[in-house]
Amino acid sequence: MAMKYNQKANLQRIALLTPGVLLYGIFNFLPLLGLLVLALVKWPGIGPIQWVGFENFQILFGNPYFRDQLVNAFLNNIVFFVIIIGAMLILGTGLALLLSFGTWGRNHYRTIFFLPYPLAGAAVAFLMQLLVQTRGPINQMLVGSGITDTAIGFLGEPNLALPTLAVFYSWHRMSFAIILILSAIVAVRVHLLEAAMLDGANRWQTLKAVVFPVLAPAFVLITVIVMVDVFNNADYTLLLMGPEGGPNGRTDIMGTFLFRSAFGGSATSTNVNFGMSATIGLVIAVIILPAALFLALRNVRKD
Amino acid sequence: MERLFKLSKLEQTIVQFILIAWACVVVFPIFIAVINSLKPNLGEVYKAPFAFPSEWSWDNYWEAWVGANFAKYFLNSAIISGACVLIVTVCASTTAFVLVRMPFKGSVLVFACFMLGVVIPIRLTLAPLFVIVKSLGLLDTLWGVIFVQSASMMPVAVFILTAFLRNVPAELEEAAKMDGALPFQIYWRVVLPLIKPALATVGLLTFVSSWNEYFLPLIFLQSESNYPITLGISQFRLQYDVQWHLMFAGILIMLIPTIVAFLLASRQFIQGLTQGGVKE
Repeated sequence: MAMKYNQKANLQRIALLTPGVLLYGIFNFLPLLGLLVLALVKWPGIGPIQWVGFENFQILFGNPYFRDQLVNAFLNNIVFFVIIIGAMLILGTGLALLLSFGTWGRNHYRTIFFLPYPLAGAAVAFLMQLLVQTRGPINQMLVGSGITDTAIGFLGEPNLALPTLAVFYSWHRMSFAIILILSAIVAVRVHLLEAAMLDGANRWQTLKAVVFPVLAPAFVLITVIVMVDVFNNADYTLLLMGPEGGPNGRTDIMGTFLFRSAFGGSATSTNVNFGMSATIGLVIAVIILPAALFLALRNVRKD
Repeated sequence: MERLFKLSKLEQTIVQFILIAWACVVVFPIFIAVINSLKPNLGEVYKAPFAFPSEWSWDNYWEAWVGANFAKYFLNSAIISGACVLIVTVCASTTAFVLVRMPFKGSVLVFACFMLGVVIPIRLTLAPLFVIVKSLGLLDTLWGVIFVQSASMMPVAVFILTAFLRNVPAELEEAAKMDGALPFQIYWRVVLPLIKPALATVGLLTFVSSWNEYFLPLIFLQSESNYPITLGISQFRLQYDVQWHLMFAGILIMLIPTIVAFLLASRQFIQGLTQGGVKE
């Protein structure tokens, strides 16, 4: 009888585990392993597959056509990342601190600030684009108030396009930073604060000695998550500037480069190679690996 | 403590001023979208984007909904995100239940494989993923997108649920086991009710991220009749690029479900962000 129960329980355990493992295995884990295999082939997506060994890597780092794109996309990506993380950490810390005081209506502010977070990237992109059009509201405001004489082509100007996209991203994701920093501030032990106050520290000294040190983990976490995201997610560029990352590749980042290598930039593009796409995917994985490992270890420790 | 966080009148005024300024930055784009989407013609949008409509009109919404196929896009998005929520909540909770409560040889390895998915974004695997979806004949089907999007949410969902379940004492389950209950019954009668709060967070995260997903449908869907609203709006922009009042209406139609979800469950949202804040 006991044996029978165990057998049944075992079968049911397998039945409970299988759907999740199959779903994740086929559509997420297998593709991850597939990167390692596909990086070694040359294949436009249809027709015969050609084994080329490490040729894709050689081409990516050696052939000027690819290398220049790689370097350009990588550098753009860093600029994009630095603007976003700078905005998030500076504004995010400032706003979180203000919300942590005995501020009137701070819960309402928190809710309002959080509003953009759940919105779809596609909607945010198009909405922001409409606002910054040369005939759009923001330019009307700038010209109308005499700040500038002529309208600014935020997305058309080669030097402005990437920072503008970074501002869109920051607007969308700012509350993420605010909430994480705020929860770090709130988690500071009350008795530490009291001890500091008893020692006669003023508000700024208390903040500096007690509150800021506990913000470091929150800063690292935000930096890591944003870094992983901006190095693989190129939705804003894809939506607004196209897979070529115009004007003149000035908004091209790693995600668009990856997309282009598999599906081509424009209708005329013939330079499609799934092997190259997998290679670029691996390169990005290596770039974000330190950040990713950090997150993984943190999660394991938290368990 | 009190002294540190209490603000004087002057300080309070300055703080309020800054917070109101940021609130304006946050609300401004949405406010502009709302008032301009209700304007009867394009001229008013161009001429006075900050003014209220001369006459409040819902025609733009109607035009987008019927004329520009938004009804169809909306339906596809609802099917995709509904199916994802169902699949992810079921599969992730059963997986977490087995991994935490009935560990076996290799269950740590299975968990580690899931955690690999937390840290390496699925977009990087676009080429092999495309090959797999294509060879299963799921290209350009809603099922293909549903499977891929649910699989992409599985790691975070499993992570949140295993972490939650580890902190719940197993006494009730032990008692049920003593009474001869089998794993199915324990899962359904005992565990599912216990993990409801975490399951709600997972469901919410899955709903919002699958509703908002642009990249994966872009890769796997070709026919317009299968487009979710994120692809639909890009299509819409190709036709109505200069018709700003229609664009605003279309954008707002797309935002309504997530804003509603947010208003209904803003607390779970913020919690999900801080505890499961492992993936954007």
